[in-house]
Amino acid sequence: MSDLVTQPPNVGFLTVISDGTNYLGGFLVTNFWGRPLEFRLTTAVQPNRVQQILYANTLAEYVCADLIGRTLIEKTGTASQLIVTDNLNVLPVRSRLEVPVVALLNPELTNVSDLGITTHPRVNHARSQSPLLIDPRYPDDVHSVPLLLERLDSALELTEPFTRIRDAIAEARKMGVTSRAA
Amino acid sequence: MSLPERYLLPPSEEEAVFEPPHILPFSVDALALETQTLPKFTAPINVNVREARLLNDPPWVRTLGPLEMKVQTEGWKFPAPLMDLPPRPQRELTAGPDEVPVPNLPDQETTKLHQPKIRSRPSPETVLIKDRLLCLLQPPIDHLIGGKPVEVPFQPFPYQLEGIAFLMPRHAALLADEMGLGKTAQAILTIRLLIQAGLVKRVLIVCPKPLVYNWVRELKLWAADLPFETFETDIEQRRSMWLVSNCPVKVINYELLTRDAEFLSDPRAEFDLVVLDEAQRIKNSDSKTAQVVKSIRRVRSWALTGTPIENRPEDLINLFSFVDPGRVPPDTPARHIPKLTADCILRRTKEDVQGDMPAKIMRDITLELSPAQREAYELAEREGVIRLNDLGDTISVQHVFQLVMRLKQICNFDPATGHSSKLEQLLADMEEVAANGRKAIIFSQWVEPLEVLAKALEQYNPLQFHGKIPSSQRPAIIDQFREDPSRHVILMSYGTGSVGLNLQFANYVFLFDRWWNPAVEDQAINRAHRIGQKHPVTVTRFLTQQTIEQRIAEILENKRRIFMELLEQNGPPPVLGLTEEEIFGLFDIQARPRKVA
Repeated sequence: MSDLVTQPPNVGFLTVISDGTNYLGGFLVTNFWGRPLEFRLTTAVQPNRVQQILYANTLAEYVCADLIGRTLIEKTGTASQLIVTDNLNVLPVRSRLEVPVVALLNPELTNVSDLGITTHPRVNHARSQSPLLIDPRYPDDVHSVPLLLERLDSALELTEPFTRIRDAIAEARKMGVTSRAA
Repeated sequence: MSLPERYLLPPSEEEAVFEPPHILPFSVDALALETQTLPKFTAPINVNVREARLLNDPPWVRTLGPLEMKVQTEGWKFPAPLMDLPPRPQRELTAGPDEVPVPNLPDQETTKLHQPKIRSRPSPETVLIKDRLLCLLQPPIDHLIGGKPVEVPFQPFPYQLEGIAFLMPRHAALLADEMGLGKTAQAILTIRLLIQAGLVKRVLIVCPKPLVYNWVRELKLWAADLPFETFETDIEQRRSMWLVSNCPVKVINYELLTRDAEFLSDPRAEFDLVVLDEAQRIKNSDSKTAQVVKSIRRVRSWALTGTPIENRPEDLINLFSFVDPGRVPPDTPARHIPKLTADCILRRTKEDVQGDMPAKIMRDITLELSPAQREAYELAEREGVIRLNDLGDTISVQHVFQLVMRLKQICNFDPATGHSSKLEQLLADMEEVAANGRKAIIFSQWVEPLEVLAKALEQYNPLQFHGKIPSSQRPAIIDQFREDPSRHVILMSYGTGSVGLNLQFANYVFLFDRWWNPAVEDQAINRAHRIGQKHPVTVTRFLTQQTIEQRIAEILENKRRIFMELLEQNGPPPVLGLTEEEIFGLFDIQARPRKVA
């Protein structure tokens, strides 16, 4: 805990890209300036028909949070003190972690009730262009997240690293890394 | 009523000993049944059971497949960014203040608002996936610069950020921006980012001696947190700096580097990055400087020069023998050079990058020689040509040069009376410069005319900056010129003042006499017309009518036009200076040197 107070926090940026049938995850850990420390990506996950039937409407959350999100975080050697995701289905990974997780709410979404996130506490902060959603089961994160964000460099904007991750995933796919890992 | 026996199954062997089965009564009134007595079954019967498998395996039946989902990952760990730089060495070897005054630049807020995100992309030479990903995963350059880790005195221009994005991933790079666009600042900021990212730890900057102080100033301005040290004359100190010191950035001039060739063979003298400023210094591949520079053990090689091709296409080939040995073979035809080097060269001109940069106004003043000058000039030329012709085939280009120099000096001042039509015009122009509170730079090829001008311009508090001024005094002179509003003019020789100095606070440049090579004149002009300049720069070039000056100017102007045409086509320019034949052609002489077989 003392480390969390004295050391500048590392931030993990976790994304899961999905085209509806395939899911692919990328996880970038940066220091508090946004400098890359470690990057990890997954093979593409393609749930079969039975899995789709069995998992039903919990499928996306299971694949994004439990399967991809948790695996990426566990396999990454560099610890993060805050996890940021741009995919709401990843947010429940919070229940498997000791560190706060926030999801960037796409500001273009107007009807948030459709997403079932009306009960999610929100945090607005200068480090993020988008509001940050917090898992309602962890209300204390509403207080701890802004404190962590305050210790990040002012030039680090939370939505920006996801552009880098997508570029890196595209590069890795171009070079055959994601299929190789599969 | 019981069923006839033929409707009953024959009893098995065991059943045969039992009573017939009991049949429930039913009505058969409606049926016309044939009744007949069947023989009694007595033979034993064996039941054979044969297995008939169901089609419950693939391919007849699809499996459910695994119910559990699995995922594999692959990851890369990158060098830890440097959080705390080592302290700057106690032994401060350079003169000059620690606090560098920040130039007054255009409104920074406006510049920042319109800035797009500028990101580094892997270069084609980057082949490892880890290196390519590391490059792509770096934050945008414009986010890094100006933030807490890379504080800067003012926001660089977007094209400078693009220059940094170009240099960042490259191990071999030639930054060939036109003079005055801030190559030094781009290089320093990139070095700073690379050191912070943990990608380089030891950097050597090599520059001409007069520019060492300029690098020191720029390092303090653009990388206040970056420790650096400069090589000085004491050899034991230098040995220690080469072999022991862990200071991340070292600055050395070409002359000292050449003297220290012996240290470079030591494995401890190894660098992650070597930056050559004014890299045209190694254009002659046979020179000792070029040999020593190329012998430095290094990982990355960057060259900075505004004139990558000063005279011949071979200049570029020789530059690349440092930047990326082997990329451009020595006998490569000129037309193939651009294809081989395109990935490694970034060149922008002022027109390309800075639409709002103040204008450069060229003003060619053609003057009549004063009567005394004309008389002295014609006598000197007449006698000179006779002497040259008398030399016959023992004549050399040096003989012609001597006459040219003599005549050019007369074009400046009459040797007997000191009359000068150029000085008269200059005095008139300086009145206007001073009245407007501006500053001017006056360039000459020689020191003597500058000393004469210093006396003539006494009322404008002139400063002198040329070969006779000791190097140790020069930084203070530049500071004085910058900071003292009563100092309206500085007198510079081309050799000492034409490269590397930032004098963007001066708005007038006078070329009292002309240099042999337009590239050198451009360098001189760009001391004032460079990034940070807020007002138009007026460049006055003095030329005396019907003299050697006019003849040389015509040849050079013609060459400059061809140079610009070729440069626009990305092709190599021809020889820019005067060729031997052109020098002989300046006079009406028949004599020519004897050709050596």
